[in-house]
Amino acid sequence: MAGKTNVRNWLLFIATVILFFFLGILASSIVSRKTEARFAYQPQTEIGANEPRNDVWGKNYPRQYQSFLKTSDTTFKSLHNGNALRDALDENPRMVVLWAGYGFSKDYSQPRGHFYAIDDIHNTLRTGGPKGEGDGPMPSTCWTCKSPDVPRLMNENGIAEFYSGKWADKGAEVVNPIGCADCHEPNTMSLQISRPALIEAFEAMGKDINQASHQEMRSLVCAQCHVEYYFNKKLPGKEGIPYLVFPWKNGTSVEDMEKYYDEIEFSDWTHAISKTPMLKAQHPGYEVFSTGIHAKRGVSCADCHMPYTSEGGQKFTDHHIQSPLNNVANSCQVCHREDAKDLIEDVYTRQNQIKFNQNKLEELLVRAHVEAGKAWELGASESQMKAILQDIRHAQWRWDFAAASHGGSFHSPVEISRVVGSGIDIAQEARIKLARLLSELGHNQPVPYPDINTKEKAQVFVGLDMEKLKSEKAEFKKNLLPTWMANNKTPGKQDVEISQQ
Amino acid sequence: MIILLGAILGLGIYMIRLSEAYSYLSDDPRACINCHVMTPQYITYKHSSHREVASCNDCHVPHDHIANTYYFKAKDGLYHASVFTLRMEPQTIKMRPPSVAVVQDNCIRCHTDQVTDAQTASWVADHINSRTNRLCWECHREVPHGRVRSLSAIGYHIEPLKSQEEKELIVPEWIKKEMEKDKTQKTSDQ
Repeated sequence: MAGKTNVRNWLLFIATVILFFFLGILASSIVSRKTEARFAYQPQTEIGANEPRNDVWGKNYPRQYQSFLKTSDTTFKSLHNGNALRDALDENPRMVVLWAGYGFSKDYSQPRGHFYAIDDIHNTLRTGGPKGEGDGPMPSTCWTCKSPDVPRLMNENGIAEFYSGKWADKGAEVVNPIGCADCHEPNTMSLQISRPALIEAFEAMGKDINQASHQEMRSLVCAQCHVEYYFNKKLPGKEGIPYLVFPWKNGTSVEDMEKYYDEIEFSDWTHAISKTPMLKAQHPGYEVFSTGIHAKRGVSCADCHMPYTSEGGQKFTDHHIQSPLNNVANSCQVCHREDAKDLIEDVYTRQNQIKFNQNKLEELLVRAHVEAGKAWELGASESQMKAILQDIRHAQWRWDFAAASHGGSFHSPVEISRVVGSGIDIAQEARIKLARLLSELGHNQPVPYPDINTKEKAQVFVGLDMEKLKSEKAEFKKNLLPTWMANNKTPGKQDVEISQQ
Repeated sequence: MIILLGAILGLGIYMIRLSEAYSYLSDDPRACINCHVMTPQYITYKHSSHREVASCNDCHVPHDHIANTYYFKAKDGLYHASVFTLRMEPQTIKMRPPSVAVVQDNCIRCHTDQVTDAQTASWVADHINSRTNRLCWECHREVPHGRVRSLSAIGYHIEPLKSQEEKELIVPEWIKKEMEKDKTQKTSDQ
């Protein structure tokens, strides 16, 4: 009996050994395969927080990076725009008069791709020819939308500190053009907001941006920059700092923002001819798009401007951000089964029809400015001019809202028509008041339309010394700019580390 | 004997936890990439329009009867787990015949109104059968995983590990901190 129990015990022992041997192998196999998962498909280059260099991100995401590099293309030309520098003042000299006394009358080109964000802000006459730190016409705030170095600097030094000082102060710091870190989180590539102004604007409207869905984020990352904004120098606790603010507190329609500016008595500049306290609409692209039919149907900016594409069987988002008119197949035709030519024609028709009234409004505004100038010349008083100037302010705000919201006449044609239409009405109201005032002042006849059929003539008419501006810029590019590039302060400490996996 | 049972049970619980076996009871598509060989399938699905409306189970498990649902899921799952554990997974993963039938049924389950017409069915003999017996993806070849169904379909995409998803923040921590700092400065200045 004892022998039998012994054998049974031994058998049990051996069975247990075998069982646990295989259980152990199974457990270790689970562990090793879980470890594999940490490396399989995982990108190998470490991307640091706020890494501003786009090529470092490009090592992990070559397709996205290489398509981003295509924003350097300048060969596409649409009817009214494109991706090359087009001298907007040359094509439409009336704008020189509308912006008399303001930087945009010096130089204004249709924008090139994100790739040129830094080059173009160096080159424009609007940033002047600073000779060193603390010099030049523009504040540091002008850098805010130009580079992924901006969130890096805001993180290092503070937000208000970033907005402080002159544009020239940060020339050696802000060197990488708009890119990856402006929209992406470095570990997961999820979309995120890198600029405080949009978050603050949502707070001002009583909304929480953290509730945004992924599809909304595909527009909101663009809305960090492609929006109406102004520099507020009177923020409590930050007096004197040109703090970047979106005027969205009352809402984002043309009237809501106008009311906001009127309430705080803000003006971007005083018009050189009519002495009007003017508003410069920046580029309310997001606000206008939000009123259109595509936004209503849940389309995001990226759906058309960065449509899906595939390469070698891989589907990814095309990071060549551009006009959908240059890529109708992947953008419009995903939803609209029409001929590409017809679709483009539809866009041009909307643009041309809106431009028809927009041109009329432009001409009326030039007349209003010149007539107001004449009234001042004839000795009009401030109280006589007050209501007229307010009308000119509102009418030009509407014109600029339509003109500067690049693509607005397609993004939301009905709303933009309404905005331009109401601008024409207000401009004519101003001119009726002006006609009465002028006749009261003894000038009962038309004020002649100025000879401004070229950019040069218009710039002479508003009193710009272009030779001086150009030579200042040339000097800046010869002396200061090379030192910025030589002292490039982009951190190299987060160097690319390719692991051996 | 009790010690032995205890040890097996303990080790078993540990392995269930380690392999997250309980997640297979859920409908979460991420359960399917517990084994990383399914990542190309997961990522191509995640980039398709079906991600908004369907989970893996909606298509790959039958839905005619709840018992059949779980029977099929268990059968398929145990097969997958065995192949994966023995490292016998193929380079290119393809559906086996029972799965083909299940997926076809599930296409029709949701899209029945797109492929059949109730009025026509009333007077054309065999309408429903003739409209549904051809595999949907003979023509709709991109749906939803794309045409290239292997590692080369995805490149350097990040496998969505749970540890990373927790970090997904719309407003990054540093901006929150800086904005907070600005606000406290403002109040202390006043």
